[in-house]
Amino acid sequence: MIDRMNYDAIVIGGGHNGLVNAAYLARSGLSVLVLEQRHVLGGATVTEEIFPGFKFTVFSYVVSLLRPEIIRELELPRHGLTILPLESTITPLPNGDYIYRGSDPHETFRNIQRFSPRDAEAYREYGHTMYQMAKAVKYILGIRPPDPTSLHPRELLALLKLGKHFLSIGEDNLYTLVKLMTMSSAEFLEEWFETDPLIATMSASGIIGTFLGPRSPGSAYVLLHHYMGEIDGVFRAWGFAKGGTGAISEAIANSGRELGAEIRTEAKVAKVLMRGDRATGVVLESGEEIQARLVISSLDPKLTFLKLIDPSQLPDDLVRIVRNFETQGSSGKVNLALDAAPDLSCWPGDGPHLRGAISVSPSVDYIERAYDEAKYGQFSRRPYIDAIIPSMIDPGMAPPGKHVMSCFVQYAPYKVHKYTSRQANKEEPAAENWDGQREAFGDAVVDTLSEYIPNLKKIILHRQVLSPRDIEEKIGMTGGNIFQGELSLSQLFFLRPAPGYAQYRTPIQGYYQCGSATHPGGGITGAPGRLAAMEILRDLRK
Amino acid sequence: MSAAYDFIVIGGGHNGLTSAAWLAKAGRKVLLVERRATLGGVAATEELIPGFRFNVGASDAGMLLPQVIDSLELEHHGLEFIENPVAAFDPITGLTIWRDAEKTQQELSKFSAKDANTWPEYVNQSGRFADILTQMASLAPPALKGSPTNLLLAWARLALRLRALGGKEPSPAIRGQFKSSMMEFLRVLPMSAYQFLNERFESNALKGMLASVALTGLDQGPRAAGTAFMLLYHQLGRRSDGFRSTRVARGGVGELIEALAEAAMDAGAEIRTDSGVSAILAESGRVRGVRLNSGDEIRANTILSSADPRTTFLDLLGAPQLTPLTSRRIRNIKLRGTTASIHLALNGLPDFPSAGGDTQRLTAAIVICPSMDYAEHAHDDAKYGRISEHPIIEARIPSLLDSSLAPVGQHTMSIIFRFAPYRLRANDWDSERERLGDIALDTLSKFSPNLRSLIADRRIITPLDYEREYGLAEGSIHQGQMSLDQLHLMRPVPGFVAYRSPIDGLYLCGAGAHPGGGVTGAPGLNAAMQALREMR
Repeated sequence: MIDRMNYDAIVIGGGHNGLVNAAYLARSGLSVLVLEQRHVLGGATVTEEIFPGFKFTVFSYVVSLLRPEIIRELELPRHGLTILPLESTITPLPNGDYIYRGSDPHETFRNIQRFSPRDAEAYREYGHTMYQMAKAVKYILGIRPPDPTSLHPRELLALLKLGKHFLSIGEDNLYTLVKLMTMSSAEFLEEWFETDPLIATMSASGIIGTFLGPRSPGSAYVLLHHYMGEIDGVFRAWGFAKGGTGAISEAIANSGRELGAEIRTEAKVAKVLMRGDRATGVVLESGEEIQARLVISSLDPKLTFLKLIDPSQLPDDLVRIVRNFETQGSSGKVNLALDAAPDLSCWPGDGPHLRGAISVSPSVDYIERAYDEAKYGQFSRRPYIDAIIPSMIDPGMAPPGKHVMSCFVQYAPYKVHKYTSRQANKEEPAAENWDGQREAFGDAVVDTLSEYIPNLKKIILHRQVLSPRDIEEKIGMTGGNIFQGELSLSQLFFLRPAPGYAQYRTPIQGYYQCGSATHPGGGITGAPGRLAAMEILRDLRK
Repeated sequence: MSAAYDFIVIGGGHNGLTSAAWLAKAGRKVLLVERRATLGGVAATEELIPGFRFNVGASDAGMLLPQVIDSLELEHHGLEFIENPVAAFDPITGLTIWRDAEKTQQELSKFSAKDANTWPEYVNQSGRFADILTQMASLAPPALKGSPTNLLLAWARLALRLRALGGKEPSPAIRGQFKSSMMEFLRVLPMSAYQFLNERFESNALKGMLASVALTGLDQGPRAAGTAFMLLYHQLGRRSDGFRSTRVARGGVGELIEALAEAAMDAGAEIRTDSGVSAILAESGRVRGVRLNSGDEIRANTILSSADPRTTFLDLLGAPQLTPLTSRRIRNIKLRGTTASIHLALNGLPDFPSAGGDTQRLTAAIVICPSMDYAEHAHDDAKYGRISEHPIIEARIPSLLDSSLAPVGQHTMSIIFRFAPYRLRANDWDSERERLGDIALDTLSKFSPNLRSLIADRRIITPLDYEREYGLAEGSIHQGQMSLDQLHLMRPVPGFVAYRSPIDGLYLCGAGAHPGGGVTGAPGLNAAMQALREMR
């Protein structure tokens, strides 16, 4: 590896978007250096052997939204990417029953029919409608947001094209889209279905990573966002990357390296170097300086705008909006090393249900109550949990006969109060006190799961509990929000991360942004990385 | 068949009256029919307790659009306003919001220097945003049916008009500011009141008071997206002071109704009370007229209904006249009333110690909502179908400013209670009515120790009462939640072309249509204009 002090481009952060960005720039012939603070690449898209022999998908754990054009253009399968489909979702119920939805539509139909024949029919129609919605919105995922205040012909044309696109999807679809943008996921689903646990499980896609309840307006958008994934042309299918989500980062990194990009780990950037109003490179925490014509930050906007540079260099408006950008996380993660396979009391023994997702979402009220607790600064005592057993799908993740279990949890608010009692009139200043609460949170998750998996406690060999605070500390996402910022209407599309700065640029010449805090937002999509690269290359051609 | 009219207006609330008055002034033959013995709907002043007159729902005409006042020349019809320097008072901390921004600033400096500093800017900005909303209130949402070119043109025209709002500013610098204002407006519109207020203020008491405005008529807590919009919406009418647009009419809000009725009748409209409509008659997709409860049938080519969409289309018109999709959409409109009111006849003025003897502070809204979390907790109860144990209270003592409302030395007090969800999971409203009243009084008397001792009599109006007595389905004071998914082109349901329904000649002219509720007169005016423009 040539150790140079001068590059065309430096990408700060080796998360999946940073890696995608670097690969595309390298593909166009630029000399690119990626600087990652940790010893492993991937950011939240990482697999680590937290307990010897057991590979944990520490943060993210499933994939669906990775853009097909990125998979194709960076030749990721050749570089090691294999995605194994997630077979099913099972919702165990307190009365010992369960709702099961699998990849076989007939089986799913029969399972839902047990609860409501009407819902079984509606499920098919719902699938068709959401397919139309995903198709309608897919266009948006691949474009840079237009600037609605500009009179530049390029922007006006983009707006016109956008308008035409929406008007072309048909009146009824347009209305459904408006509903999806504005309603709560539970309300949206209640117009289709009547079975509460089914509505609850489906509405939960609207609260993933989000500080909203299933009855909160805006959660239907998050539901749609999570619906837009495609695997092999099939919308909505979720999959597990062989080797864990870390394998995705590895594949992108491999592709980038082959294209000529250099990647350094354990290289934390302290500041972006500037001369006048231009970025000229970076300086690492070690003091080492590296020059570059272009500096691209894949980090969240609070770091990008307030820490890596001096905010006094920026317009007041931008600083204000970035400070107010909602980045507080609401999600926790509990990763378990298990001595044997978990046994669900509603469906004992092995089966396809262990090769999919286990959703603890018995009713909408249940999830809503979990949200209530978080609102007032408590982690949910009986949380929503989305769990998978990666080793059931990819045996290489654990030693033979043993397993890993990855549990995504809502809610674990970034700020937790010291007090547990409800105080209606008083507002105590929130003490960010996760250190004293982490294990109790882990206990709450294990206790909840044990209600449906009686052998769980006996088989736990090791447990890793992560709060939003841990997410922030370990992988540098301010506030611990998994999308680098809430996916709420006030901070999406041409408002993400701030009006006027939603096209991957910053006010500083040569300094760009390419993380999930830019359009189209979070999830393992790679889209921000790629769209930012396109923008940078366009600027270079001018 | 009775004599034909050009237009029949169903419902003598403020919107129906506005429609009737405007159409009559345009020279048309108009009949307005009202089910009750009195006009006004819930914007009415009634003698609920002998000798005492109360505003049964809306308290004043602050949001009435200038277009409505001007085009109907209401000030010539006996409408007199009482100016009041106070906007709102918090009996817990004594914090008072004055109509004068500087005075409020001084007040706030006792609570938070930062908030005092931000206040004038907040009032300014909200006022600017409210101006935009006022203009949008008059811009009916264009259709989505038709050729893509026509649609694109119609929507582009709307977008251009919005952009041009900045162009009215005097200088390029301010126009530039306005451009960023427009973006800020777009950013703020879908926000939660929680985020909006946290970005601007730090004092819990202040944020709580403003959050209470943001939640008017909603089945939401302050963390819900779209509640910031409601806070701005309530600044409509250019009478805003940062709390809500207020303008007290002498004699109560009923005087506005009187003025509207007079304007309508002076212009030649016929108004019949005690004339409830039992059916809207239609044939082959076109209206023919109405049938009254008495059995009388009255013919007209155009009907404007100010009743809520569910009552209008499912009860009066009937689902068979609509496509299954449309009737399903109407059935799915989220009504969900959450407002109840308690009206007290008092033997004297209650003492609120935190006012420090300054009774002027009690002449506007007395708000109990000490923090946004308090409001959120109150809504949590409603979310699970329960009456809020610690409700948001907005109380007024109108007789303090207007002695015509109560006998000498006595007073009226009207308390708006939130949240009182229409759908209770346990029990029903008739059996919960008194308990609701008790909760309200428990809450309020914590800060006014002599209140209970002064109560001569009380009347409670539950959401069920608002439905039964005043014709508001599910007690929804806005005739449909003003949540983000039920606004603008989605209001009352997708598929309507502004105020025109799928039935030729049948228009919606009440709060169930754009822009929504509040005493604005906007739906009434806009619907009338559209109906006139489209009449055959």
